[in-house]
Amino acid sequence: MASFLLIRLLRWSAGLLLILFVTYAMMYYGAGDPIRMMFIQGEDFDSEDEVVMLALRKKYGLDEPFLVQFGNYLNNLLQGDWGRSIRLEVDRPVLEIVQFRLPISMQLGFAATVIGAVSGIALGIVAALYHNRWLDRFIVSTVLFVNGIPSFVILPVLLLLLVLQLKLIDVPYGWNGLFHIDAALPVAVISIGILPIVVRQTRSAMLEVKSQLYVRTARAKGMPESRIILRHMLRPVLTPVVTTLGLIMIGLVNGSLFVEYILSIPGFGLLTIEGIKKVDYPIIMAVAVVGTLIIFVSNFLVDIIYPILDPRVRAQ
Amino acid sequence: MSARTASPKRSRVIDDKSLSLEHHRSLWQDAARRFRQNWLAVGGLVIVIAFLVLALIGPHIAPYDFLEQNIVKAFQGPSAEHFLGTDDLGRDVFSRMLHGARTAALVAFLSTSISLIIGILVGAWSGIHGGRTDEFLMWISDLIQAMPGLLLVILINTTLRRPIINWFDTLYENTKNPFFLNTLWLDYVLVFSALALIAWPGLARLVRGQVLSINEEDFVLAARALGASQWHIMLRHVIPNALGPLVVAVTASMGGAVTMEAGLSFLGIGVQPPNASWGSILEEGRRYWQIFPHLILIPAVTIGIIQVAFVFLGDGLNDALDPRRSN
Repeated sequence: MASFLLIRLLRWSAGLLLILFVTYAMMYYGAGDPIRMMFIQGEDFDSEDEVVMLALRKKYGLDEPFLVQFGNYLNNLLQGDWGRSIRLEVDRPVLEIVQFRLPISMQLGFAATVIGAVSGIALGIVAALYHNRWLDRFIVSTVLFVNGIPSFVILPVLLLLLVLQLKLIDVPYGWNGLFHIDAALPVAVISIGILPIVVRQTRSAMLEVKSQLYVRTARAKGMPESRIILRHMLRPVLTPVVTTLGLIMIGLVNGSLFVEYILSIPGFGLLTIEGIKKVDYPIIMAVAVVGTLIIFVSNFLVDIIYPILDPRVRAQ
Repeated sequence: MSARTASPKRSRVIDDKSLSLEHHRSLWQDAARRFRQNWLAVGGLVIVIAFLVLALIGPHIAPYDFLEQNIVKAFQGPSAEHFLGTDDLGRDVFSRMLHGARTAALVAFLSTSISLIIGILVGAWSGIHGGRTDEFLMWISDLIQAMPGLLLVILINTTLRRPIINWFDTLYENTKNPFFLNTLWLDYVLVFSALALIAWPGLARLVRGQVLSINEEDFVLAARALGASQWHIMLRHVIPNALGPLVVAVTASMGGAVTMEAGLSFLGIGVQPPNASWGSILEEGRRYWQIFPHLILIPAVTIGIIQVAFVFLGDGLNDALDPRRSN
């Protein structure tokens, strides 16, 4: 077990390194000299600036060979120095920006996961209990339907409906804390994005459990149906849902990118888009680091948690 | 079809019909029959075909040029003259949507074709040769599949943009061919190559799995005993057997590419204005959504319908082509 986890950990860490290396290399060789771009896109550019550019390059350590720069970057990263923003919020430490932005997205994502998981598990169980009846078909096709529609379509349409037609809410804008009314719509839209994953997994796990002999035994000895579900079926149904954590995280990242962009919520998703649009390298690298880290940590967590929840996996 | 899939080994209900040769159905006829019974999937197929046809003939039936501006007629609602109204610059929304369909279909088609080629090559190589290369390739594909596709596409698109622009510039300097000055075309190249780079792992895993399972079959052993080469086995046995799952995966991949393209253009990273993409039309309409809701409703509903069509089509194909479900 320990060696299995160690191998997984090595695989994920090597993956993280590879992704950082490729991103860094693409920026270094591909995107051109960030300092020069800073000046070209500024208003005034003349020969005097060459001196300033040299000085700036030295200041940011951009005059060293590629591998040295990458090594320095990793070293600094581990020591908590993530560089300074070049163009987005000029000279502000990137780590500080991330520390301000990430919690907002994490709160949104956490709320959306809780809502999406609870309603998804409930819907999945109901669908499986009414297998092949109209309620099941209704849930399955609704989920399939919702699954297809991207959040950048759902959110504007919901805005039209709720703000313009029904006049239920004002236009949500920015971030006023998780418990402000403005957070309701983004949380709802992000949770719609992860709902289908949970419903599908729960339903298929439930269908499998339903035909197990021990469930039949429980029913045969006269146990009430609600108790059978809670005592015998829920746990084997819930464990596989944990494995979808990786997919859920992908859903959260995708959702927060669009939702934060549309509603101008200053979270991590908006930071990603702003950093990319302004070609702010330290920010883009930080986005790659944090994004990859979130995904890999959640995948590794599944590797750790799953054997604890499911003794059958542990035995293998 | 090959021997493996042609004879389903399920317990048959013995009746006169299933025993007589006239009523023998092939796997594909069987699949078509199952598919036709699923009206959601048939609806999806109709919409997807309509989308592809419109993408192909769109510019010929468009009433206006998609770039033609007419400020006097800005922000008109739907009318006889402008079927879906006009946008902030007085451009005909219907013509722009038709051009957007072409953008979406082109990107989906090209990115899926490229990722299909990469996927088949990588999957076949991995499955046939195994060993270290296989482990390495599958590790890479695991990594790509674990990451959020959108984030990867954004990163790839941004980092590749400048080198490709530079490359095009040098090509123009050398050839003086005005084609290389065209940045519209450049956007397409960037978007579909980024999409292809993230879409191949799923297809590669699929092909690899097929290679591994087919290599265990007796008829492959027989073919090999007769001296068939690995590539012959690949082309004659593996690919035909993998065709069903591949069709499903390709459908899903095309649908995904349409969403991704729209999403990227919506974020202002993919196809840039004034070029028309459903995503950029939606983004442009978003500025005026409270006064002229039709400007976001039209692209949003279109993207939604096409997506749902792809999802239902893929789901229907999956059910129809999975022989284990036949009964």
